Amino acid sequence: MSLKINNLSLSIADKVICKELNIQFNQGEFWGIMGVNGVGKTTLLQTIIGLPNNSTHIDTNMALITLNDKNIFGFKRIDLAKKMGLMLQEYEYNFPSTVLEAALIGRHPFINHWQWENEDDKTLASLALNEVGLKNFYQREVNTLSGGEKRRLNLATLLTQNPDYYLLDEPVNHLDIKAQLEILSLLKNKFSQNKQGGIMVIHDPNLAYRYCDHMLLLFDNGQWLSGKTTDILNKDNLGRLYNCPIHQLNDEQHTFFVPQHS
Amino acid sequence: MKLKNHPFIFLTCLIFLVIAGFIFALLTGSGHLSSQELISLFNGTASPLHQSLVFELRLPRALAAFAAGALLSIAGVLMQVLLRNPLADPYVLGVSGGSALAALLAMLMGVNTLWLTGSAFLGALVSIFLVFSFAHSKGCWTISRLLLTGIILASGWGALISFVLVISPAEKIHGMLFWLMGDLSYDRPLLPSYFILFFGFVFAMTISRQLNILLWGDVQAGSLGINTKRLRGYIFFLSSLLTAGAITLAGSIGFVGLVIPHLVRLIIGTDHRMLIPASALMGGALLIIADTLARTVLAPQQLPVGVLTALIGVPLFLYLLRRSQ
Repeated sequence: MSLKINNLSLSIADKVICKELNIQFNQGEFWGIMGVNGVGKTTLLQTIIGLPNNSTHIDTNMALITLNDKNIFGFKRIDLAKKMGLMLQEYEYNFPSTVLEAALIGRHPFINHWQWENEDDKTLASLALNEVGLKNFYQREVNTLSGGEKRRLNLATLLTQNPDYYLLDEPVNHLDIKAQLEILSLLKNKFSQNKQGGIMVIHDPNLAYRYCDHMLLLFDNGQWLSGKTTDILNKDNLGRLYNCPIHQLNDEQHTFFVPQHS
Repeated sequence: MKLKNHPFIFLTCLIFLVIAGFIFALLTGSGHLSSQELISLFNGTASPLHQSLVFELRLPRALAAFAAGALLSIAGVLMQVLLRNPLADPYVLGVSGGSALAALLAMLMGVNTLWLTGSAFLGALVSIFLVFSFAHSKGCWTISRLLLTGIILASGWGALISFVLVISPAEKIHGMLFWLMGDLSYDRPLLPSYFILFFGFVFAMTISRQLNILLWGDVQAGSLGINTKRLRGYIFFLSSLLTAGAITLAGSIGFVGLVIPHLVRLIIGTDHRMLIPASALMGGALLIIADTLARTVLAPQQLPVGVLTALIGVPLFLYLLRRSQ
């Protein structure tokens, strides 16, 4: 099982997001995508799962995103949903639903048309909610949750879907610093079983350094850099990425990147 | 006990409410029937006057009210999913305005009921198509843009409806006005409406789980395996069909399509597998009761049922809106 991007050139309106991008995402890997605001991280993520918005232009000349050597756009959506899942940057939901119902929508691709969720599905959703720390929230209304709790719920929905590839758009925003570590550890543990892989848009280089084993940096002009985190995440590359000098601090356990006012 | 966890109990209660509504409608009116007289109707011992009163006047009218209420409620549920907004109804987007205009033009030309039904349906389709093609330009469209387009278009239909009323001969205007306010006093064929209701209900139920997910947005729904473009097409087609069915049967009855789904959601939540049947039953029952009141409160003067539903619906809606803040 592998997810490959071959020769992908992507642009939105006049803005070039990436030129001739080539990457192979393998199971067991946890990728981080970084770049300045508006560089096209979300668009890239949504294109990888075959859902580019209408104004995204894909240069179709040789460009191919493949899952197990089959073109993403050739999949039926319901089949793709069993293999790839997406956690969006934000959700807007205005209707009364319980937390358990919201997590259960992750089972949709696995349930036949006329079938209802059975006990096994409910067990999976409950386990996912427990994992993200929403154990006592099953019957709570979604709209009464705080920002951080909503974020946990969104992840629980994806955990309930439990696809082979997790595409995560800023999964830890709104979370407190301890919760950020909990959630990222949870994901890292999951991917380290070597059965699944993760691709995450993230802004914090320190969290990326700590949890991601591979990185993709998207520069402003469509250029990109990818590879092992230890090779890619350094003060030079980050300085180029954000166009701002970056300090690198090391102690015995951690590496920190701190931006400096120029 | 929370009803939300026992939706089947709620559905059973609603079935009894519908039956009660029918009994109320059959008994009440200019000639009051006792319940014994009602029973005698069904074992064939009633007087011929009562026979024709109930079977030729009250029963068809109650059946029409039920169908109109159920159609509007399901259409409202679908429109709220399409706009991802619990405050949407078929009328907000001007769908019924287009339908009404076409129906009035048909009435002006004096065509038969079949053509009236057809043109009302076509009007609804044209209207909903216009809204979407204007709101959806160059691939970028937002729900607020959609709503704005719908509201503008609705006021456009309103102007054209006024125009048709102005140029219509006086003897047709009374009927047209009643039609516009929503009225069940005319004898219209029931079978097509029940066919639309049955088809629409079954179709809506087959996509009901997908509707739950579409409420989370197109990208999320897409990533969970739903072909959102096709699903939106279905919702679009279904809601216009149901609205057209309701409007040809009963004219522009207001607020049922908005208030009923909202009310039911407050009681049993948003799962469309329950929401759709419950809204249909509740809308049907309430419209039977409202119509029976409409023909009796000021008897012998009849009120258009739409006036009554609006009188109930407006305060209820304002209350719900206030509560939701």
